[in-house]
Amino acid sequence: MNVQKSLAGILAAALAALVPSWASAQQEIKVGGIFDLTGVTSDVGKPFAQGVQDCVAVTNDAGGIGGKKIKLLGADYGYKIDQARALYKKFVNDDKVVMIQGWGTGDTEALKDFVGQDKIPYFSGSFAAPLSDPSKFPYNFFVAPTYSEQLRSWLDWVKQDYGKGGGKGKAKVAFMFGDNAYGKAPLAAGRKYAAEIGVDVVDEAVLPPNFQDATSQLLTMKQKGVEYAYINVTTTGVSLVLRDAKKLGLTVKFGSNPYGFSESLVAVTGVVPHVPFGTPVPGMKMLEAAHQKYHPTDKHDAMYVRGWASCLVWTEGLRGADKAGQMNGPGVKAAVEKLADFSTGGLSQSVTYTPADHRPTMTTSIYQIQNGKLVKIGDYIMPRTKEWFGL
Amino acid sequence: MRCGDFRQSYAEDMSLFESPLPRVLLAGLLVFLLVLPGFASTYWLDVLSRIFIAIIAATGLNVVTGYTGLISLGTAAFLAVGGFATAAMAGKAGLPFVVVIPLSGLLTALVGLVFGIPSLRLKGLYLAVATLAAHYIVEFIVTHWDAMTGGVNGISVPPAHFAGLALSDDRSMYYLILPVMVGLLFFTKNLFRTKVGKAFVAIRDQDISAEVMGVDVFRYKLLSFAVSSFIIGVAGSLLAYQARLISPENFPITLAIDYLGMVIIGGLGSILGSIFGAIFITLLPEMLRLATDALGSYWPSLMVIVAPIKTGVFGLVVVLFLIFEPDGMAARWNHIKAYWKLYPFSY
Repeated sequence: MNVQKSLAGILAAALAALVPSWASAQQEIKVGGIFDLTGVTSDVGKPFAQGVQDCVAVTNDAGGIGGKKIKLLGADYGYKIDQARALYKKFVNDDKVVMIQGWGTGDTEALKDFVGQDKIPYFSGSFAAPLSDPSKFPYNFFVAPTYSEQLRSWLDWVKQDYGKGGGKGKAKVAFMFGDNAYGKAPLAAGRKYAAEIGVDVVDEAVLPPNFQDATSQLLTMKQKGVEYAYINVTTTGVSLVLRDAKKLGLTVKFGSNPYGFSESLVAVTGVVPHVPFGTPVPGMKMLEAAHQKYHPTDKHDAMYVRGWASCLVWTEGLRGADKAGQMNGPGVKAAVEKLADFSTGGLSQSVTYTPADHRPTMTTSIYQIQNGKLVKIGDYIMPRTKEWFGL
Repeated sequence: MRCGDFRQSYAEDMSLFESPLPRVLLAGLLVFLLVLPGFASTYWLDVLSRIFIAIIAATGLNVVTGYTGLISLGTAAFLAVGGFATAAMAGKAGLPFVVVIPLSGLLTALVGLVFGIPSLRLKGLYLAVATLAAHYIVEFIVTHWDAMTGGVNGISVPPAHFAGLALSDDRSMYYLILPVMVGLLFFTKNLFRTKVGKAFVAIRDQDISAEVMGVDVFRYKLLSFAVSSFIIGVAGSLLAYQARLISPENFPITLAIDYLGMVIIGGLGSILGSIFGAIFITLLPEMLRLATDALGSYWPSLMVIVAPIKTGVFGLVVVLFLIFEPDGMAARWNHIKAYWKLYPFSY
């Protein structure tokens, strides 16, 4: 009897779960989500996915988009490219989504030609500069300064800091990067800009995939007298470099990109396009409410905020498309391209997109980790020039 | 079905089908696969195409690992060679796919021949490490030979053209991949009825006695690597045509391990094993994802927690298979067949 009773209970629960989804199927906006929850970038991919999910939940609780609920079809692709492609095909052909929230360099690069053909706006967590050129990739978007602007801003900070410290001549800089598309993305721009502003790039060190030791690279840097180094890998890699630098007694000042460092590290000066969780900005109230409501025991970081910021921008795009009565790929693209100085409530810099330029912002915030806290050093504003477009 | 062994001549002993029934069933399956695109969704066509490509590559790996007994971790590297060769020939030289696919296979066979040379001296785990080196060498070359492979950013592959028609959607890709798979499976099945195939098996079973019997061990080991790499190269070529944009990130070392898993779970030294293993390993993540998606869409906040379970379940299933059916799914299939052959009058 007991078994039967509990079985009946499970059936009833399953039915109860099914019924509302049938009832609301008509009034839905389907959005695909390609996340990394189990792969090599899951350390940063998981909080990002959670941020997007919470933002969608809050938007739906507040009435959705013009009375329609967003249905986020999120799925994990484990940073496997064939899985991302399979998911993409399912989202576009079977589920008929209007747009996709994607994730890293791997999936974004593999799908960039397809999203243009299929006219599906694709918001990525990859900030590679070529994606910001709509003449090549009209349906790619992201919510942060490009990787190249980030490195340029960091080089500006280096020059300033070197001058302040009473350094003579040119500051000696090294680039450390992973041997992949993400690691190499800003290098060409960095080399060029360093030469322009008078900073010497004396060393470029490759960090192999899943490296456990960076001693040999650091010793070469020591020999060349490097004073500043930009580490272009994810957080785990950066912490290994810092460990080995401490072991060797290096006095190099390290910097990193927004996927490379968090509060858990020490003395890194890096790029933070999205404010840390808990920063007193107007937009944070919504995040804190969601945090209290859905998972009060979880800890959150800037990656979680990054997911929110991206989602806030495209939900605004969906609103615009809904008002124009164009709830489809080209409609969402057009609506996003009308956003001018759109504020995410301080979660990130205000963003602007035009049909000819998808660089969201030219302002990069540089933060420094001091006593386990992220402290803002300043905002670096780059000119919106033609030469730097897509580089 | 017949409950006995009625073979009376060597020709009958060598025949592919024991009785007319399997022949009819196989023909039926082929017809089914041919008409399937009429009603399958593009997502499932994509899954099927990936399964077919996996079957081809797993069969290739089975030739060298299952039939000749040489462990290879170079599958991902050989797939990459086939894929980037296709990108170069189809993209830069603009050759038609009828030429590109076999040429990609041949080029991969050459590369396989080179990396097969250590097999003269090395066996078992040592050979596995040597092929691992092959993987890293190929990975380094495709990552850094920017002019030819596009480096880390990858390279796009133009769609295959047939009679002026671009084979760019999933349906036409399906019809390109299916015949190639059937042809290669037929080739491999027949390979092991010939002198060459029997020499491979002799080397696997006991290389010293094979040499005593007059098998030129080194020659046949190299030949085994070449045949295997050819088949894997063709799979890589099809993969490139299907993906349309390939980069070194498409061919990680974990891919080679996945393929090794396929032939072990499916059954070493069995064509049927390669097929079962490829279907199983390709479908398992899809099935687990459909299951977690179903759970996740009712409780969206669960998705972040449920997704990693997928990885654990995958590992668990593999371990359970190795414990309860170490000879692979093909062996289990034969048990089931034997059971029904005698049903209901088992001895």
